[in-house]
Amino acid sequence: MSTAISTNKADKVNPAVKSTAYRAKRRFIIISLVPILLLFGVFAFLPIAWSLGLSAFKYDPLSSNAIFVGAENYIRMFQDSIFLKSLWVTFKFVFIAVLINIVITLLIASAIQRVRIPWLKNGFRTVFFLPTIAPLAGTAIVWNTMFNYNDGLFNMILAKVNMAPIQWLSDPHYALYSVIMMTLWADIGYNIVLFIAGLDSIPDMYYEAATLEGAGRWHVFLHITLPLLRRTLLFVSITTVVSYFQAFPQFQIMTKGGPFNETRVLSLQIYEQAFSSSNMGYASAMATVFLMIILLVTLLQLRWGRTQWEH
Amino acid sequence: MPRKISLWEGFTIAVLTIIACVMLLPYVWMVLSSLKSNMDIVSGSGGFFPSKPSLDGYRTVFSEAPFVTWLLNSLVTSVIITVVTLFTSALAGYVFAKHQFKGKKLLFILILATMMIPFQVIMIPTYLITAELGLVNHLLAIILPNLVSSYGVFLAKQFIEEIPQELLEAARMDGSGEFRLMLRIVMPLILPMLSALGIFTFMNSWNNYLWPLIVLNDESKMTVPLALVYFNGTHQVNYNVVMSAAVLITIPVIIMFLIFQKQFIKGLAMTGMK
Repeated sequence: MSTAISTNKADKVNPAVKSTAYRAKRRFIIISLVPILLLFGVFAFLPIAWSLGLSAFKYDPLSSNAIFVGAENYIRMFQDSIFLKSLWVTFKFVFIAVLINIVITLLIASAIQRVRIPWLKNGFRTVFFLPTIAPLAGTAIVWNTMFNYNDGLFNMILAKVNMAPIQWLSDPHYALYSVIMMTLWADIGYNIVLFIAGLDSIPDMYYEAATLEGAGRWHVFLHITLPLLRRTLLFVSITTVVSYFQAFPQFQIMTKGGPFNETRVLSLQIYEQAFSSSNMGYASAMATVFLMIILLVTLLQLRWGRTQWEH
Repeated sequence: MPRKISLWEGFTIAVLTIIACVMLLPYVWMVLSSLKSNMDIVSGSGGFFPSKPSLDGYRTVFSEAPFVTWLLNSLVTSVIITVVTLFTSALAGYVFAKHQFKGKKLLFILILATMMIPFQVIMIPTYLITAELGLVNHLLAIILPNLVSSYGVFLAKQFIEEIPQELLEAARMDGSGEFRLMLRIVMPLILPMLSALGIFTFMNSWNNYLWPLIVLNDESKMTVPLALVYFNGTHQVNYNVVMSAAVLITIPVIIMFLIFQKQFIKGLAMTGMK
């Protein structure tokens, strides 16, 4: 809006100045946007369209002949028991991990926020945030040795309390939970920091008013903190869900989808179909379904968040 | 009343301290394991502490692995990606915030829409494009697709819109060209946002695993996370070696974090970036 007004002013001063300035601006827009749009075009827009197109083909990059198969990849998917299993495992992983993540990060954040000694508060925040900055791939390797059956840390602890050792990563009952444990360690720091920021932004007067009325701690948390934290909660839950759907390094490094496909999440399945089995068309069809699921879940969360907001 | 509060606070601090110690345990494990000798591991007597601390692991890392090359690969690619992404984000943000042209809204929405696309959806065509360009197993394959960031453009536009128009007009009156204006006036004004974007771009590119896994397979071309995993595969038994490598790549990151901690935390709260 304001651009229009100010160019009008320049107009009255001198039309010739205006037109050269106009041309210079035009040139600036073109010179700066074209390379950027080219990069977006080649590495974002084109791949999305290509992926959708590829999902209608049977394509093996080694023989590099693409056969049009229509919806066959999609039909095949729903008869593919490994795909269906991976769909189930993905939902299970996301649901459990996100739920535990939000509950513990909210608890830890409100505990840290209540610490009044500044250096201690910062210290706690640092310790919890530290794991998020290391590469997840490196963390997965360290945890692999901790989960080791013979000389890993966890079985050492179990032995100390006289319990039988566990095959953390190769027992179908424990594998997914072991990966969840590692994932939580690696990235609760983000949400703790976001929740602390959200809690800090709640004005003290709300708490003072509640204390005056003699409300208990739990009551204050449920009826004052949580409702005022809704915006942060919605943001945190959407970003965490989206990022957990895409979780990859821990599965590829720690379990490789096993045992019995108990940890074969969709992101791993797409990767393996595309780059180990060279079924790029089929993998693209899975990727399309994957995208639809993520979009749908995000939309549902947004809608749920909005209705919660209104009353 | 004050006594009751301090009691509750003391309890909170005690619980938090215990959880914090648990959080630090994997680091302790990593360092102690890296100090175990080959004998410790082969004999299988391995307890929590190394029976005779040794630097066998570290020696092997430097003699058997091109460790410095890995660090350089990661450093070069991440620095280039960060610098260019900051520039393209500020530039596009400036154009979208302060200039008018046909189709602006549509273009901006298209760019925003790519934010919602998970990498698994575009990785196959991106690989095919990279192969077509002849860049497989080349560091350029890591750099090229990551020079623009839709989230960066979005953030820059938001922050640049806040800059008063009069400021820009005054500079234009003094005869500043648009590029100069961007570098001298716009970028300094959005420096806090740019430093947050820079930290997170650098970190994401340093830690990225999936894309390098797809396009790099030559050991000397690998970036740190990928190389570490590869190295882990070739040294399955001697985990002291792998733990030494893990310690060596974790410590610089931790030091960096402790230095930039404030910007890190502020940036996360400001941009909501992960």
